[in-house]
Amino acid sequence: MDFRLRPARDLGLAPGERLRSHAREAGLGSLALRSLWRGGVGAYLRLAHRLEVTGQQNLPAGPPFILVANHCSHLDTLALGSILHGEAGRRAHALAAGDVFFRTGATALFAAYAVNALPVWRKRTKAGEIAMLRERLVEDRLVYILFPEGTRSRDGAMAPFQPGIGTLVAGLPVPVVPCRLEGCHAAWPADRRLPRPGKIRLTIGRPLDFAGLPNARAGWVEAASACEAAVRALG
Amino acid sequence: MSTAFAHPVTVWIVGATLGLLLLAAAVIGLLSVTGRASPLLRRELWLRLGSWCILLPLMLGPVLLGRVWTIGAVTLLGLACLREYDRATGLFREYLIVGVVVLGILLVNFAALDHWYGFFTALWPLTVGVIAIASLPLDRPAGYVQRTALGIFAFMLFGAGLAHLGYMANDPGYRPIVLLLLTAVALNDVAAFTFGKLIGGRKLLPATSPNKTLSGALGALVTTSVVVALLAGAIFAGTPMGHPALLLLFGAIVSIAGQCGDLMLSSIKRDLGIKDMGVLLPGHGGVLDRFNSLLLVAPAAFHFIGYYVGFGLAGPTRLITGG
Repeated sequence: MDFRLRPARDLGLAPGERLRSHAREAGLGSLALRSLWRGGVGAYLRLAHRLEVTGQQNLPAGPPFILVANHCSHLDTLALGSILHGEAGRRAHALAAGDVFFRTGATALFAAYAVNALPVWRKRTKAGEIAMLRERLVEDRLVYILFPEGTRSRDGAMAPFQPGIGTLVAGLPVPVVPCRLEGCHAAWPADRRLPRPGKIRLTIGRPLDFAGLPNARAGWVEAASACEAAVRALG
Repeated sequence: MSTAFAHPVTVWIVGATLGLLLLAAAVIGLLSVTGRASPLLRRELWLRLGSWCILLPLMLGPVLLGRVWTIGAVTLLGLACLREYDRATGLFREYLIVGVVVLGILLVNFAALDHWYGFFTALWPLTVGVIAIASLPLDRPAGYVQRTALGIFAFMLFGAGLAHLGYMANDPGYRPIVLLLLTAVALNDVAAFTFGKLIGGRKLLPATSPNKTLSGALGALVTTSVVVALLAGAIFAGTPMGHPALLLLFGAIVSIAGQCGDLMLSSIKRDLGIKDMGVLLPGHGGVLDRFNSLLLVAPAAFHFIGYYVGFGLAGPTRLITGG
């Protein structure tokens, strides 16, 4: 028997740097804060949006896995996060736009501690960052919540998926679960400051497997297309 | 205010500490003005002094303010040390174990606040027992010994051990004793560093801590023993501990326990392959890098004084729980 001592991946980072780091790992304090937030969000979604979930049986038994969905509202992340419980809930990270959620210290604090988000810097994500996200997905057995359209739809219609999802998952034995959200655009479109009550439906599809795809451009595009088709098919 | 500074040793220690800070500021200022130190060294020195200017009020302030403040500060210090330790060792991924250790730290400090020595001592075996069984329901035997051992080690150092410092505050005359311990471990570090630089020579334990020398360790032992014995002589005059040999032995225990605490943390860091435990205190590293010496000194000094004099034996007990 050997001890395997693994210091936190974010050890030695200054507080601000740590908030924005892909290496950020949550401790008991973060977990307690997030549990409070998740409890509040769950109650809000039930009361204000009468969230209806179908296909819950399609969720893998445990991490790692990735949830992908269409994106037209900030409610999307909250709704997808609310269906994860136990280990999957504790290990879930939303991949969120760095220029929106991690721009100031206050938003970064909120994104990191409440949503447990990791920043994605659109159009300037470095190869090392993708490698770290892939490594952590498998080694730390994480769950990523991801919207491959890259931004919120302004009219509610689904845009083509970017190949970014493929770079995370091509060649890895990690299931990708397609999800379809309806009602989020009406409840909280991108041009409104605050949400309004309204029914939200979430349909969870069967997991997709991209372990056999090459981790190269062709594999990334194929994975993104397959995810897009699976999400469209749920509509 | 008059109570806080009732004992002359309290006045001496606070006065000497403030004097040293002013002297350090003057020396660094002089170095800056005359340009005798490189900009990098000057920056490092100002950073360290700045950290001390924030740390010292946080350390000495609660002790001067009163019993509840002292125990509160020791609780926060224990939790801050645990956070650094669990992130450095990886224990933080074991939420259940960390949760039990946090609960143990809160309870043992509550026992100090309640002035309930029976519960204070009972919490050591009880918490260790709960740490040992906490992760059983996970049905994950792989890594059991590691997570349980790390949890027990953490509770011993930052809970059961460190809480002795807060428990001392149940004695009406605690202020000079606690202040003496807080400053003596700092003096111990400075003396070891200074003697090591001045005399040099054989390394103490080169694989554990390459910068420490035998001359530094012995120099610190002599300096700290004498200074602690002199100040403790003023505190414990007329008590069974007032004998010069006992006072010197007390000083030696403070010095040796302090140096061992330092070496213990060095061993942890070497084993993990990291340089500092954290980044909270610019110029120092983490909270543990600063307070490592205190971890073993607190219980050792408590039980030494307890054997000869005792803490708060005449005062009321179980202040919160009654009975």
